[in-house]
Amino acid sequence: MSVRYALLGLLAQRPCHGYELHSTLLSIVGGQENWDLKPAQIYTTLARLENSGLVRQAGTDKDSGPEKHIYTITPKGKQEVTRWFREGVAENHVHDEFFIKLMIALALEEVNAVEIIRIQRNTLYQQLHNVTTQRQNAKPGQDMARLLMLDKTVMHLEADLRWLEMIEGRLDEVAHQPIPPPANRPRGRPMKVRQLND
Amino acid sequence: MTIIKIENLTKKFGDGPTAVIALDHVTVSVNAGEFVAVMGPSGCGKSTLLHLLGGLDKPTNGKIILEDLNIADISDARLTELRRRRIGFVFQFFNLLPTLTAVENVALPLVLDGVKTAKANSQATEWLKKVGLSDRLNYRPDQLSGGQQQRVAIARALVAEPALILADEPTGNLDSRSSDEVASLLRTVSEKWGRTVLIVTHDPRIAAYADRIIFLKDGRIVEETKLSGTSAQKVKQVRQKAEAL
Repeated sequence: MSVRYALLGLLAQRPCHGYELHSTLLSIVGGQENWDLKPAQIYTTLARLENSGLVRQAGTDKDSGPEKHIYTITPKGKQEVTRWFREGVAENHVHDEFFIKLMIALALEEVNAVEIIRIQRNTLYQQLHNVTTQRQNAKPGQDMARLLMLDKTVMHLEADLRWLEMIEGRLDEVAHQPIPPPANRPRGRPMKVRQLND
Repeated sequence: MTIIKIENLTKKFGDGPTAVIALDHVTVSVNAGEFVAVMGPSGCGKSTLLHLLGGLDKPTNGKIILEDLNIADISDARLTELRRRRIGFVFQFFNLLPTLTAVENVALPLVLDGVKTAKANSQATEWLKKVGLSDRLNYRPDQLSGGQQQRVAIARALVAEPALILADEPTGNLDSRSSDEVASLLRTVSEKWGRTVLIVTHDPRIAAYADRIIFLKDGRIVEETKLSGTSAQKVKQVRQKAEAL
């Protein structure tokens, strides 16, 4: 998951060290258990932001490693942040491994698609159960960020379960559609004109 | 320890070509202290199963053994006693008496069973405190939110100290926040207070509070999912899911 805009957002407030950015982000989302954000990701992103002219290094604490470089936002970077806050975030639901698994199961006759759906349903209920347990144990006063994330997870799992129910009902329909053959592209190097005239 | 053993349970409504087989040779067991959710599409037989288990109806065939007693063929009088003492019911529409206060509603089953009013009220108050309504004891149902009313209903179901709680769509009439509160309370009933809880629900989010989900379709069990795992496993799974979002 990209931290690009999160970093710009924080830097728009004031210049920071990479180390500060890392710990601030973690505390906003409620800790490392919610987001396994590695410091390396922060530094790589900062380097890219610098290349794009959105941030620059403002100075360095002497006797320090790269984590102590101070980054500051540029006017161009500020414009990016304004744009980010003004626009909606597009949700990406297309990369769904289960969907691909199901399509392949339908294409391969030896695999039972009904069984695939059954297994997936069990998995989803198991996850829903785990999330629910976590939610019950979270403390509203202290774990607000985590609770919000867990609520989102619950709703997504509910949607996934509803989708499974729907596919199950339409499985016959889907299974009888032929899988389109791959497009036929000519292969190899084009024939030399000389050969055609021989 | 098995508390419910259902064997080849069958319930048929009507006769001849228009007969409906609501339950078709259902066999399942429930252990003491388990929290089980029964799910399935409309007409799958889940409510029928609950009614038979609660002695509210008699099966066409098969056995229902509740704490070593086959309730499928006991007298109506014994069934009534069973319902009063060994089973607590929670319904979708709360079914509280509108002219009685929370305490009076919860005390009612005891009063009907001959317990002196003072003692019944005292036990009712205890249970209302346990379900988190100590500051609503003398409120009438119309002064309580849906979620609070359902919690009164749960206290009422527990006041006679039954081993089994049966709930039919207990969150069906509640918003999502109240639903979670009620489901969480039912989980406490099983986990902390050691009762066996069986709910019928169509809501996956609520079913997820259970230890096990039984899926019915056309009167038969088509799936059983055990929802358990070690703590470390659970935390890892939750994090993976959240990261994928």
